[in-house]
Formats: sequence, C-alpha cells, structure tokens
Amino acid sequence: MMGDMTASFPGASAPGEEAASLAATAVSAATASGRATASGQVLADLLRRCSRGDEAAFAELYDATSRRLFGLVLRIVRDHAMSEEVTQEVYLDVWRTSARFDPSRGSALSWLMTIAHRTAVDRVRSSESSRRRDDTHAATHQDVDFDTTAEAAQASLEAQRVRRALATLTDAQRAAVELAYLGGYTHTEVARLLDLPLGTAKTRIRDGLIRLRDTLGVPA
Amino acid sequence: MNADLHHLSGAYAVDALDDAERAAFEQHLAGCSDCRAEVAELSAAAHSLGALTEATPPPSLRASVLSGISQVRPLPPLPADAGAPVTAVPSPGASGPVTPESDAAAPDDVVVPLRRRSRVSTWLAAAAAAAVIAVGGAVWSPWSDDAGTLSPVDQVAAAADAMSVTSTKGQLNAEVAYSRQLGQAAITVAGLPPAPEGKTYQLWFVGADEIARSAGLLTPSEDGRGSMLLDGDPNSAAAVGLTLEPAGGSPAPTTDPLVVLALA
Repeated sequence: MMGDMTASFPGASAPGEEAASLAATAVSAATASGRATASGQVLADLLRRCSRGDEAAFAELYDATSRRLFGLVLRIVRDHAMSEEVTQEVYLDVWRTSARFDPSRGSALSWLMTIAHRTAVDRVRSSESSRRRDDTHAATHQDVDFDTTAEAAQASLEAQRVRRALATLTDAQRAAVELAYLGGYTHTEVARLLDLPLGTAKTRIRDGLIRLRDTLGVPA
Repeated sequence: MNADLHHLSGAYAVDALDDAERAAFEQHLAGCSDCRAEVAELSAAAHSLGALTEATPPPSLRASVLSGISQVRPLPPLPADAGAPVTAVPSPGASGPVTPESDAAAPDDVVVPLRRRSRVSTWLAAAAAAAVIAVGGAVWSPWSDDAGTLSPVDQVAAAADAMSVTSTKGQLNAEVAYSRQLGQAAITVAGLPPAPEGKTYQLWFVGADEIARSAGLLTPSEDGRGSMLLDGDPNSAAAVGLTLEPAGGSPAPTTDPLVVLALA
C-alpha cells in the first residue's frame, strides 16, 4: 500500500489554464458521447486540479468515470446501497489523495480503478457474511458465464474489444480471472471454487492477465 | 528476485491475495522494479474488464459525493523522499546507516531514525508493562472465534520457540506472537475501531537502538478485529508499537502509540 497508491508526485509542473480548459472540453465531449472514459491525459489533468481543491474539476472527473467505477463496485459488492456507500468512499479517497497520483506509475483511470477495486474487495471481505459464503455456488456460475454481464456494455466498442480479448484466454484462465477480479475472491478461494490444487489459481490468474494484456496491448 | 513472490503479481493486481500475502508482496515490490512494472501492466489489463460492468449510479450519489468532498481538504503531495526509504541498513546488525543514495538498489529493510528519540524511550518504558508469555507451539486467542482457518498469528505461534505478548488498553486487545527461529512476528487485535477518514493504523518495530521501522499498515475489519504478519524481522526489535498515521502511512511515527508490546 505504501509504495503503491500513495507514491510521491514527481514534482511535475502545473499545467497552464489553457491546458486545463482544453481538458474540460475533452471530458465534456467524452461524457456527452456516453463513453465512460476520457483520454488518460485529460483525467490526469483533472486529478491534478483536484489536488489543488478544484471542485469543478472533481465534478468533471466524477462525470467522466462514475459509470465505470460504480459499475465495478456494484459488480463486486452487489448490494446497491452498499455499492453507493463504497463508491462515495472511493471518490472521497480520490479527492483526498489526488496529489499522490503518480502518472509515471500508470494511467489515471487505472489508478482510480485500483482504488475502487481495492475498496470494494476490502469491503466485501470485511463485511463478509455467511450470506455471501452460502451464495458462493450461485455466484460462481454467474461469474463464469460471461454472457450474463452488463447488457449496456454490449453497445460499447471498447466492451466488444475486451470481450474478444477475453475469448483468447483458455476457459480455465478466464474463469480464474473473472472470479478474482469481478468476484472479488482470493486466489485461495478461486482455487476452491474451481477445484484447482492450491497454488495453481494464482498462476492461472497471472497467465490470463498476461494474455489479456498482450491481446489488448494496454499501456500501463 | 524471488520467483515464488514474482508469481503473485497477477493475484496482487486483482487484489486476490490475503492480507499476509499482500503485505509480503508489497515488501517485495518495494525492491523489485520488474514486479512493479508487471503489476502496473497487469492491473491495467484487469481494469479493462471494467468496460463490461459499467452501470449508471443514481443522481443522488453524485450530489452526496460532491457535497462530501467540499468538506474534505485534499492531502498535500508527499515530500520527494517520503515514499522512499530515508535510511537503510543492508542487514540487521550493520554498524552504520547507509546513505539514502544507495537505496537505488531498493533494500528490503527500511528503517527510519526517529527524530524525537525521547518518544521511543517512552515507548519502551510503556512496553515493559506488557506481559510476555512463552507459548511454545500454540496460542489461544480468546477473541479469535475463527477456529477453521489458521491466522497469521497462529502460523507464527505454531513455531517451536513461539512467544506471545499481549496488552489490553480499554477496549483494545493486542497480541503479538513471534518466533526468533522463523524471524517472523504477527499481530492480532480486537476492539480497534476503523481508522478515521484520512488515517491509517501503522505498526512499528522499535529496535533497542531507538530506531522505529515500519512493520506495515493495519486495517481492522468493521467489527474491530485485525490480524497480520509484520513486515520485518523481530530479532532486531525490542518492541512492537501501533500508531495512528495519515493515510498511506508515515516514514516515522507521528503520534503517540496506542499500544506498545515488548519482545522478550
């Protein structure tokens, strides 16, 4: 944790007002077109403005990313009210720690998603009730069957690209990645859910992510 | 690099490690640039799955998020050296501190001299009051009701030379189990409320040399319990302390300890 999201900001100079308003325009365009993600540079600039207490920049950041972050949190947490609570916690954290986003360590969206994922996973694990454990069998089947996810996503070109990339994974890799990332399970739990020998799930997860990375060509 | 740890990069990128593994891997990450790069890439790949789960939050959430942030001050950037070790020693028992420049090789062992040495003396005095019990093989934690899984404390306590020290302060119960042979220590707490907004609990190994080394961040569950392996080797420590620090942790303790436990 210490070395990760709270890395020091490497003394980058502030962007000019011009750059900032350009960023705002680009985000408005991105939002208007219904896409959840603005370009990485735009989000990075918004984060930098947030770190100086610019609430308008934060509102733009929220509008540009909330479908993506809330959707992920909802997928993991499942309970609607709790997902709203977690999402609020995530954005508060983003606002508070925005000065510690380090663009040399990855994209702004990746940073936001990392906070959202970690917070959601920590929440389900800490408030883990017997309910969810009892529910594990059903959850497995939902998670493994990818066709049941997010109807709206079908429309998105990016979603189609991700689906195609996922299809290049072996069934075993895909199941492990989905249970871990979208299900919020530990690799030990994933191994149990998939009847794998302990210790093999983490390898499947890693192999699957490597294939996903290579197919998508995602920059860090 | 450690091949076993290296293979945890994927599971780490999707938050699929348990707390003890996460702590161990983060300690490894601090010194392994290959793993840091791989984690960044694999995280980005994993987050692309977010394109499949988009959902529109209710408008009321936007309103409450925006009104929430207006009451919170963004944290300042960390000072240039705060994320990096301030002082490093190559191994326990080394005679002198290594200069900060030499930590480009990213040491596993991060130590920070306490600026206010008197505070550590206070810690050690406080720690002397805690009781040490040799447990030799098994620890029974009265507040641990999860008998089905072996907690990090239990794993350490299973060592033949295991020792345990406990302290109770009001609601707070803390137990450190440690094994000199394994060079490992673990803490279990109960009655620890969630850290306030913008704060985190941080653990420290305090050496007889009055140097506090971060032993990791502790996040208790909502019912006030927490358990984790400490980062670092108890053999070079005289005590373990717990403080409340700004989110992300501090290079050195900035508040008085909530509890200090002396290691025999």
